[in-house]
Amino acid sequence: MLKIGIGLFLIGVLSFSVTAQELTGEDIIQRVNQVINPQAMYAKAKMTITTSSGSLRTFLYESWSKNKGEKNLVRYLEPVRVKDQATLMLNHADDIWMFFPRTQRVRKLASHAKKQKMQGSDFSYEDMGSGDAFIEDFSARRLNDQTWEGFDCFQLELKRIPESDISYSRLVIWIIKDRFVPVVIEYYSENDPDRILKRLVQSDIREVDGIPTAFRMDMHNQNDGSQTGLELLEVRYNLILPDSMFTERVLKR
Amino acid sequence: MKSCWMAVVLLGLAVSATAAPEELQIFGYFEPQYLGTHISAGYYQLFTNKLRVDVKSVLSDKITFAANINTITYHGKKEWNILDFLAPDIRDTIPVTLRPLYTLPFENQTLLDNAYVRLSLMGFDLTVGKQQISLGTGYVWNPTDVFNVKDVLDPTYEQPGHNAVRLDIPVDGRHTATLLYAPEASWGESGKLLQLKGGAGRFDYSLTLIETRWTFHDYSRFDAGSLNFAALPERRRLWGGSAVGELLGMGVWAELAFNTMERSKDFYELVLGSDYTFDFQTYFMVEYYRNTLGKSDYRTYGLNDWMRFFTSEQKSVTRDQFYSLVQHPVTDLLVLGFQCLLSLSDGSCSFVPLARYSLSDDTELFAYLNLNIGSEGKTYGCSLGRAGLLRLRVYF
Repeated sequence: MLKIGIGLFLIGVLSFSVTAQELTGEDIIQRVNQVINPQAMYAKAKMTITTSSGSLRTFLYESWSKNKGEKNLVRYLEPVRVKDQATLMLNHADDIWMFFPRTQRVRKLASHAKKQKMQGSDFSYEDMGSGDAFIEDFSARRLNDQTWEGFDCFQLELKRIPESDISYSRLVIWIIKDRFVPVVIEYYSENDPDRILKRLVQSDIREVDGIPTAFRMDMHNQNDGSQTGLELLEVRYNLILPDSMFTERVLKR
Repeated sequence: MKSCWMAVVLLGLAVSATAAPEELQIFGYFEPQYLGTHISAGYYQLFTNKLRVDVKSVLSDKITFAANINTITYHGKKEWNILDFLAPDIRDTIPVTLRPLYTLPFENQTLLDNAYVRLSLMGFDLTVGKQQISLGTGYVWNPTDVFNVKDVLDPTYEQPGHNAVRLDIPVDGRHTATLLYAPEASWGESGKLLQLKGGAGRFDYSLTLIETRWTFHDYSRFDAGSLNFAALPERRRLWGGSAVGELLGMGVWAELAFNTMERSKDFYELVLGSDYTFDFQTYFMVEYYRNTLGKSDYRTYGLNDWMRFFTSEQKSVTRDQFYSLVQHPVTDLLVLGFQCLLSLSDGSCSFVPLARYSLSDDTELFAYLNLNIGSEGKTYGCSLGRAGLLRLRVYF
């Protein structure tokens, strides 16, 4: 019985190895896209911005997403300065509405606003709400495998396709082989493909509802030395979120 | 009336007290502000302390109560005579004995700014009480908004609440019908609004109908009976619409309102705007505004034009204006910007450099200078002086 078990294990390892070897860049990024864009998601997160001068700014927010990241709603809880401010992103952040509770005003933003920093952080709205941008806006090419923090990783280069309006010329991604979770993403300048703008490191990966989830994300801005940490405090995937939740009516609540 | 509002607040607080403790939220901000203005009459400075206290209680997923009280104290020069800001040829038409009537007093106040209950049921949202009413897509000017007039130097500052009953009925995911009634002494004097908001492609639009009582004053005639300038109330009907979306990668918006007046001349207002964020995070916005209540020849600007502008009875003295804003986050904490207001009708302009600095998570500093460089008698003429504002806001 033990021998059979070992045999099955070896077959499994070998078949994974063969599969892993044969996977193309496009195959891998499709698998990654499935992992990072669950059908529905709720998260409560703490975002800490460390400015280049060393000052800290902390935000607490809740977010809901649906249709593999196609619809997103973010609502701030803290600090009081931005409490109840909310952002609705539809069509993978191509359509953005922001609600300002102090003026009770909803403002529709054009897609160029995706480039703006989210609350002054090193994450742009595009970084947060682009859903399947990895497969829609880039073509993937597999590079040599790498090791990151003890994990065997695929390394991919994603090059922006000509018709995309995404703000980066290319991305280089390290992906844990057996989980298809990105652990490092390097973002390169739109105008200079050799100039790295920022680097995202994901860590503290845990299984939630069967989905590997990075509970810690750190975005390092390579230009000014600032960095933004994102810590997930609560995550849920097995949710049924109605479409009516992603409307201006709910945005204003 | 005051006691009535106090009762609403007490009722709200009592209702809030019955809610689970974690659902009762008390927050707000303290805002000391300094405003200095240099005009020909001298240097005026006004210090303001504003305390805003908000109460919000989510009693269930269907009922929300929210209110805020503002207490404002003024110090320094607390009486500003509007005539001091006008060109001598207009000022000299007013007899010296009547000039004190044109004084704008800044009196300490405690005000129930907003207090409303919102019922969110399956088919509609009903909001009853004193509430903010924000209409239109324009950034500096909103032709379809008869309830508020923005400060062109600080257009994102919060607007006061208005007593109203508002019904929002979602038609589908993207379309909403809104009915609003702002009661006054009689049905005829009350504000009535019907609006349809919707979306088509990358654009959102709204169609708005409003009927209300509008009161211009004749600032050259004083009514001894009311101890005020002669009031000229009349019915105002507004047919308007707005749209916001994206064109060639740029944000674009438009807002148009035709006003038919019972007695005075009909007029229309139009706003066209566009904005863009560059890759290097610099934000750029322009807005064009036409108001046919305003005049195209500055030599015809009269006392009533200026007084109606200063008292928000009309949104501009001049007919055509252009606004631009450039803003850039210099660091993660500091944003610098530059606004320019230009009267296309008389060629005067105002430069407004501004800065916003985050001192901590809940403390921010805002400052601007206001440099009017037009010749005397024009919209942004030198008679309006040169001003500076420094505002600290601490949230709690």
